[in-house]
Amino acid sequence: MRMSKLTLWAAGISFAAVALPALAHHSFAAEYDSDKRITITGKVLTVELVNPHSWIHVEAAGPDGKMQDWACEFGPPNGLYRNGWNKTSVKIGDTITVAGSLAKNGSPTINANNIQTADGKRLFAGSSEGNAAGAGKQ
Amino acid sequence: MRRQSKSFFAGALAIGTGLILSLCAPQPASAQAKGKAYDPPRLSDGKPDMNGIWNGPSALNADITAKVNGKSVIVEPADGKLPYLPAAAAQQKKNLAAAKQLDPMNHCFMPGVPRVMYVPDPFMIVQTPDFVAVLSQFMHEVRNIPVDGSKHLENIDLWQGDSRGSWDGDTFVVDTNDFNDKTWFDAAGNFHSDQLHVVERFTRSGPTTLNYEATISDPMTFSKDWKIRFPLTMNAAKDAQILENECNYKQEGPTVTEGTRADPHREAKK
Amino acid sequence: MRNRFFTYFTGSAFMGSMLAAAAAFTVFWMSSPPELRAQDAPPAAPQGGGGGGRGGGKGGAKGGGRAPAPPAGPVRRLANGKPNIQGYWKAGGGGLFSIEATDARKQIGVNAGKGIITDPADGKIPYQPWAREKELDLSENHTIEESDAHCYTSGIPHMVEAQSSFQILQPEGSAGYVVMIWEYMHNYRIIPTDNRPHVLPASVHLFAGDPKGHWEGDTLVVDDTNQNARTWYDIAANFHSDQIHVVERFTPADENRIAYEATIEDPKVYTQPWKVAFNITRDMTPNYRNMEFSCWEGEHDVTEKYTLPSQGVDTKNLPKK
Repeated sequence: MRMSKLTLWAAGISFAAVALPALAHHSFAAEYDSDKRITITGKVLTVELVNPHSWIHVEAAGPDGKMQDWACEFGPPNGLYRNGWNKTSVKIGDTITVAGSLAKNGSPTINANNIQTADGKRLFAGSSEGNAAGAGKQ
Repeated sequence: MRRQSKSFFAGALAIGTGLILSLCAPQPASAQAKGKAYDPPRLSDGKPDMNGIWNGPSALNADITAKVNGKSVIVEPADGKLPYLPAAAAQQKKNLAAAKQLDPMNHCFMPGVPRVMYVPDPFMIVQTPDFVAVLSQFMHEVRNIPVDGSKHLENIDLWQGDSRGSWDGDTFVVDTNDFNDKTWFDAAGNFHSDQLHVVERFTRSGPTTLNYEATISDPMTFSKDWKIRFPLTMNAAKDAQILENECNYKQEGPTVTEGTRADPHREAKK
Repeated sequence: MRNRFFTYFTGSAFMGSMLAAAAAFTVFWMSSPPELRAQDAPPAAPQGGGGGGRGGGKGGAKGGGRAPAPPAGPVRRLANGKPNIQGYWKAGGGGLFSIEATDARKQIGVNAGKGIITDPADGKIPYQPWAREKELDLSENHTIEESDAHCYTSGIPHMVEAQSSFQILQPEGSAGYVVMIWEYMHNYRIIPTDNRPHVLPASVHLFAGDPKGHWEGDTLVVDDTNQNARTWYDIAANFHSDQIHVVERFTPADENRIAYEATIEDPKVYTQPWKVAFNITRDMTPNYRNMEFSCWEGEHDVTEKYTLPSQGVDTKNLPKK
């Protein structure tokens, strides 16, 4: 690997700007609660690597045990690609684990922090969480 | 008498000058000696200069099978028609029937390749030894073409594909793959799969022309490769500049917005 | 392995995950393309000035164990003696969320920050009173009208401070073009430097305006006219009218740094001209190239859900040209 994960964590601990306009940026602060952490594991239903947010839908059980279609939001595709994703990284039918922030309105929507595939591979989510109003809590 | 001596002198001067110039100037290794191929202006790396503002034949944007100067630009196959596989031919007819809703350009999505080369907006070619950019007035679209021997990206689907350029003598060759299946070749529903692979060849053919040829391969859609050929023409006006056609489907419909296509000379006369 | 990983996140809870997300994002724009993976690509040199300028999080993103960057050489030269500023560059951040000094504005996702205004000294845009009120209204009630969100090319100077790296090309030819191409929204500028005049009549308005440049010594001076009123400088809805006139100065300091300053005037909106400034530094990521950036294709919440008409905006009465 080019860089150890430790280097990645240590690198650039700045408030990196996101390549998003106000609308998409605003949606984090408006839609997600960075205090409501959640982790789900399930089967991939769809994968869309698109701007400004990539989306992966996962069929998984939530905290209440109910199986649902979880919409998981990731970062822009170029950033994901530069961090090791490609169109074969996550495929329909794969089992993955997604950790992130839950939507405020209680819908099964997660702003993803990170994702782990069944083979133990970890992929960065490139989420917009770190760049929204939530960071004001630092 | 004097006229004759003048012309003799002028002739001698011309011959002498010609000799001196030909001794000093590098001899381009083109077909110049044969008197056939156009010998273009060259950059300091010896490559033909493609810098400038160019237009493709915009009739193709409506229908790639349209006639330009009386004939189809599809030079292979010889019948000038797209060699669709049967299922794909049926799909094209469906596309055409719903073209207004389905044409990706009507949604202000990227036009793709080669369509961006013949949309009704000019583009600028920016040429340096290891990088060529094609900057279209349509949606400020950009084609990035590294000319540095680098390989295509892998496992990625792109609207304009991933392009890599190289020179074959005086012809600039661009190899593009990694396409998604979301663009059309025109507004008539002519389409492709994500197996599309395009090889373009650009050759300066005259003071204001750049010959353009593209070979299209897509075994999922067509029974064989096909090729288009047409000239790109230069806008050589001294103050020519790329303007803006910013295209926004949902807000203002698939029409141009203000400030576009303004002819500064016509405006100034008002 | 899995348990340790999640403990890292959940154990230190919020801070850990915030830092992780921010780190991941910074790395995005610094990482080399995958085609290099098989090779022994050297690690990217530390990036100066990358990212936002708020909360003390900025500056000196030095990862562990990286070799320090070699000292920069002098400004590179073209054959004609003009500065050769070709290559990939990163604009110093600090003005993307708010170009002016601001307190935190949570509901629009803007943190407290100094912005990038160097004149006036308080770092705030010298708005006329009506304009200050309008800016507050735009940012709180009209986020939908931000032109970037609708894939229009950005205005100046906002485009220069874009979040992605950008490429500068200087093709040969008497026009002396300096061409700038951003990955972000595939924005570009074509700047002739042969002292040619503006030819567009005042009635023509473009999102990015009309740039005309010339060299003053080693400084590229760009005069930008004919912008429309539709673009904002940032997320905080700081705006201008179509009378805006910008003069930019790109001054190479050494081979890896360009000092940027822009003077903005707009007598309809401001009480005086004002200036922004930041550094532009060479992107040292090995083999960095701009990738394609499809502007919001497929992202339905921006292009479809948030169209102007669906938000009740009267598209026949958008801000005047």
